[in-house]
Amino acid sequence: MSGLTIMDPLEPHAWRHGTVVAGTLWKNPVGTASGTFNLDACGGYYDVSQMGAISTKGVSPVPWEGNPTPRTAESPAGMVNSVGLQNPGVDHYLVDELPRLKALGANVITNVAGHSDEDYATVVERLADSPADMLEINVSCPNVSHGGMSVGTDAKALNRLITRLRALTDKPMVVKLTPNVTDIVEVARAAVDGGADALSLINTLVGMRIDINTGRPILAQGTGGVSGPCILPIALSFVWRVRQALPEVPIIGIGGIDSGLTALEFLYAGANAVEVGAAALVDPVAPMRVARELDDLLDERPELADLLEKGECWR
Amino acid sequence: MKPNLFISTSRVEEQAQEAGRLPGRRTAQVTGMEPLDRQVWRMIIRDPYLAAHAPAGAFINLYSADRMTMMPRPFGISRVLEGEQIEIIFAVVGQGTYEFSRLQPDMAVDLLGPLGHGFDLEKPAHYLLVGGGLGVPPLIRAAQCLQGQSGVRTTALLGYRDHRFADAIMGSLTDRLESIDNASGDVITLLDRVRGDIDPGRTIILTCGPLPMMRAVAAWARKAGLPAQCCMESRMGCGYGTCVACVVDTVDGRLKVCKDGPVFAADRLIWNTDEDKKETR
Repeated sequence: MSGLTIMDPLEPHAWRHGTVVAGTLWKNPVGTASGTFNLDACGGYYDVSQMGAISTKGVSPVPWEGNPTPRTAESPAGMVNSVGLQNPGVDHYLVDELPRLKALGANVITNVAGHSDEDYATVVERLADSPADMLEINVSCPNVSHGGMSVGTDAKALNRLITRLRALTDKPMVVKLTPNVTDIVEVARAAVDGGADALSLINTLVGMRIDINTGRPILAQGTGGVSGPCILPIALSFVWRVRQALPEVPIIGIGGIDSGLTALEFLYAGANAVEVGAAALVDPVAPMRVARELDDLLDERPELADLLEKGECWR
Repeated sequence: MKPNLFISTSRVEEQAQEAGRLPGRRTAQVTGMEPLDRQVWRMIIRDPYLAAHAPAGAFINLYSADRMTMMPRPFGISRVLEGEQIEIIFAVVGQGTYEFSRLQPDMAVDLLGPLGHGFDLEKPAHYLLVGGGLGVPPLIRAAQCLQGQSGVRTTALLGYRDHRFADAIMGSLTDRLESIDNASGDVITLLDRVRGDIDPGRTIILTCGPLPMMRAVAAWARKAGLPAQCCMESRMGCGYGTCVACVVDTVDGRLKVCKDGPVFAADRLIWNTDEDKKETR
C-alpha cells in the first residue's frame, strides 16, 4: 500500500471514476468475485450498493451440496479451495438473495453454474425475467455432459453452450473463463462468437497441497482451485493476451487483486473492470477498500487516469 | 516484525459503529504472551470491542503479518480480562501459529471478530463442561460467563494428552473440576465418574475437543438423556461465512461451522464415522 493514504472504506463517498461493462453502469470499476461474496456474511461489514457490482455465488438449477471437507488449504500468498459450488439453487436465489440484493441497491451479476448444458440453460431461463443486472456464466466447473472436462476448456463445446444460452436471454451475458487451457484466446473467441457480451477472467488455477504428516492431499477432493496474490501475474497476462486479440470486448479482470494499485494494473492490461476475490476472505472490507483506493489513486495522480482514458496501455 | 497496514483498532470500531456495521479486520495490541505447556501458549490482546462482545464459544481470526501465510487462523476466546483485554490459548501446529507464538507484548497483530454463534447459556442448570486438549479454551469462556449466575452449577471434565495445562485457569472459574490424561482414561471415564451427581432434568453438557471425542460425548449424553451443545472445529477459509469451506452435515442441511456454528446442538448433528476418521487422520 505504499504511496497511498489510508482512507476509511466505510465513509460515504462520491465515486469519480465509474465504468461501463456491456452497457451496464458500474459506479466504480471494482466488483466482488463470485464465490467470495455472501450477503449475510458481507452485508454486515459494508454497504453493498457502493460496490461497482456484486457477483454472486454460483447458482445451480437445484440445490448443490458441494464437495466433502476439508475444502480449503493454504497456498503461499493464496489459497486452494474445492467447495464444489455448494448453493441453495436458483429457486431459493430468486426469492431470497436476489430480491434482498436489489432492495439494497446493488448492481447484481448473477453467476450461473451447471454440470451440463441443460443445467446452464435451466438457470439462464429462470433468470431471464429476474431483476439481475448481468449474468456471468461460470464455465470452469466439471461438466458431466463433456466427459468430466470443464466446458470452458473446449472451444467447440463452449461456443455451442453460449450460442444456446444467448437465445434464452437479453441480459448482458459475461462468460467467466478458466485459465486451465492451452490457448485462452481460442476459448475467449469461441465465447464471443457464441454471443457473450463480455468476458471475465481468470477463474482459479488447478492446484493442490499435501499434508506432510500423512502424505495425503489436504483437500478431500485431492485438487482444487488456487486464488490469491500468487496468481496475480498469471491473471494479468491472460487479460493482456485476450485484450490484444479482442480489442472491443469488455473484460472483467480477476486474480489476486488486493489493492487499488493491483486493480489499476488490470485496467492497464486492458480490463474494463475488476473483481476482488480471495482478498475478501482475508479482510471482509477488502472489495470496498480496493474500490476506494483506486478512486483516490486516479484522483491523486491524474496522469494515471489520462493513461487509462487513452485506452492504449495494452497495445 | 512489522504489523499489517490496516486501520488501527479504535478507528475501525468507531467507523463501523457509526455506520451500524460490524468492525472489520483491524490491528490490535498484544499485551501478554506466556507458555502454558510445551508448545502451548496463552496470548492476551487488547481490543475494546472484543472485550465487550465475546459470547462463550465465539472465536477470532488472527492474521499473519507475512502475506505468504495470508489465510486467517481461528482461535476460540478463552477469557475476557480487565483492561479491555481478551485471552486465547493455542498450540503451535504450523507456520502461522509458530509466528503468533513469537509475538511479544506491545507488538501488533491483525484480527477479526468476534465470529460465530456461541453456546446457549440462558437456562439455570448444572453445566458439565467437557473438553479435550485445545478444545478447552471456549469452555473456559463459558465457565467465566456462567460464574456467579443464580441457579447455575458448573463441573469441568477435562481430558489431556499429558500435561493438564488448562486446569489452573478452569479450576478458578468452576465449582468442580476433574481432569484426566490419556494414560488414565478419557472424558467418558470422567462422565461415568460424575454420573451419580447428575440430575437429568437440570443438566446441560457443553463440549469442545477432537471430533471423535465429541461424538463419544454426544452418544453418552443421548444415552443419559441430557442435552449437549458441541463446539465444532473445522478447517476454515474466511471464518466469517463467505467461502463455504467449513461445512458440517446437520438435520437442517449442510451448515457453515464458522457462521451457523461453531456451536451446534448435538441432536442436530449428523455424526458420520467415516468422515470423522478422515478428519482426524
